[in-house]
Amino acid sequence: MHRYIIKRLLMLIPVLLGVAFIIYAIMNVAEGDPVYQVAGPDATEEQLDALREEMGLNGSLLERYFRYIFKLLRGDLGTSYVSKMDVMQLYLQRLPNTLKLASVAMIVAVVISVPLGIVAAVNQNSIKDTVSMILALLGLSMPNFWLGLLLMLLFSLKLGWFPSGGAEGLRSVVLPAVTVGVGLAALLTRTTRSSMLDVLRQDYLRTARAKGVSEKRVVFHHALRNALIPIITIFGVQFSNVLGGSVLAETVFAWPGVGRLVVDAIDQRDIPTVTGALIMTTMLVTIVNLIVDIVYAYVDPRIKAQYTK
Amino acid sequence: MADSKEMQLRASKLYKKRSSFEMVWRQLRRNKGALLGLALLIIIIIGALIAPIVYDYDTDVIGMNVRERMQWPSARHICGTDDLGRDIFARIVYGARYSLAVGFVAVIIALIIGTALGAAAGYIGGVFENIVMRVCDIFSSIPSVLMAIAVVSALGKSTANLMLAVGIASTAPFVRVARAAVLVVRGEEYVEAARAIGQPDWKIVIVHILPNCLSQIIVQATLRVGSAIISAAQLSFLGLGVPAPAPEWGSMLSSGRLYIRDYSYMTLFPGIAIMITVLSLNLLGDGLRDALDPKLKR
Repeated sequence: MHRYIIKRLLMLIPVLLGVAFIIYAIMNVAEGDPVYQVAGPDATEEQLDALREEMGLNGSLLERYFRYIFKLLRGDLGTSYVSKMDVMQLYLQRLPNTLKLASVAMIVAVVISVPLGIVAAVNQNSIKDTVSMILALLGLSMPNFWLGLLLMLLFSLKLGWFPSGGAEGLRSVVLPAVTVGVGLAALLTRTTRSSMLDVLRQDYLRTARAKGVSEKRVVFHHALRNALIPIITIFGVQFSNVLGGSVLAETVFAWPGVGRLVVDAIDQRDIPTVTGALIMTTMLVTIVNLIVDIVYAYVDPRIKAQYTK
Repeated sequence: MADSKEMQLRASKLYKKRSSFEMVWRQLRRNKGALLGLALLIIIIIGALIAPIVYDYDTDVIGMNVRERMQWPSARHICGTDDLGRDIFARIVYGARYSLAVGFVAVIIALIIGTALGAAAGYIGGVFENIVMRVCDIFSSIPSVLMAIAVVSALGKSTANLMLAVGIASTAPFVRVARAAVLVVRGEEYVEAARAIGQPDWKIVIVHILPNCLSQIIVQATLRVGSAIISAAQLSFLGLGVPAPAPEWGSMLSSGRLYIRDYSYMTLFPGIAIMITVLSLNLLGDGLRDALDPKLKR
């Protein structure tokens, strides 16, 4: 098992470097040569060169990339062009809000989807199954930011139950979290249903029933525990989409998270902030996926067995 | 003698070879959801095609008409008018052209790049395969919205760049599907036979291997068009998509949002348009998956 974890950790290094390089290279194209903007039209070539050096823009793309990585290893993501603040600090200020939104969204998704998926699977081809599947299909087809606008219209502007923006208090997280969570819930409902259907057909469940185990216990104790494995996997893979979805929800509900930071920084052409925030977010996704894989290996004895030989 | 000929004849009638298109259509015809999706999609495509005949782009779609601004839905304007007095229904119908074009072109870009890379990776194997798959991992760990945002901000805002951004962000799944399909049949005897008679590698991949995974690629593509349309609308909503005054659904929602308190219909209709379009593609994609791959059907 240790070998598995060590192997995965080692594989993480090239992936993280690759992620950082791709984002750095793309944002480098976006940036162009900002010294002209900063220095104004009258600057001489020497002044421009000096400024490039000062801003860390001299040298080839690879040189600059490695300089960036070494600074990143010391926790330095550069300085924002706009607020002149440390980008790492800006990012860490916003990160807790995004993590709060993402985790509540994932809880919302599980609370909706797992019961719905189980009901659908246990009553396969019944009206309950059809209704659950139609709901899941609608959830998958609905753009999340539009759902957010509708929720805001109904629950904050018309009924006044929840605030329409900001991150003050517990109530403010509800609407953004539902906005992000519904799409994930739709996907998880489908996964739960098909995973439960797979397990419900297995012989050991027939044995359990033959032994006189109650149907409730068969479903929740014997079936659900095995059906959970694919659900956990999807959950991990979808963390990236939850963070992506939160960019939109943060825009709709003026939620001060990382997504808002990126979108605002793009508007202001604040490249160091965009680059830093994108790299950090992607690294976060990669690390979360690794943790999910390791947890998954612990839960599933078949994977554990491969590495303990 | 005569008997055996007759039997052969009867056998050939019984086992009349059906084209695979016919077989898929027979399956699909029985699936009500898929038929509904197909019908909706055809209506939307026809609407998009005839929009320029019915509406004049300059006067009906982007032309301002201050006297008729902010009108609630009525017989004259069935979806109401926006803040510049433009008929929202006309803009939605015209907007289908943008959404469908962006969705389909983005997926075609992803399909071509993804299938080529995935097939090459699976066929060549070794270091090349490893590199392609690791790059694929990297791309899948960047949230696709953020990836598309980065690409658009690098290339600038335009419809073509939006297509490219969404396309790049949805390439990874195609790489995986194509590679997996190649791995399954790479060792088959007919591939070996093709190699033995000296066929070039590219021909083996295109003629003998790829048709085997065509069904999976078609299903993946149909479902991806829906999510590409949503991604495009998201970027336009953030102000990074099709530039104004073009009637893109996402940017219509973005401007409707400013008036959500008093003129909620402006936010309602473009969203319904996105949802129905994506729903039709999802219904059709699910139906195709069931028809093409009976193993997955539950």
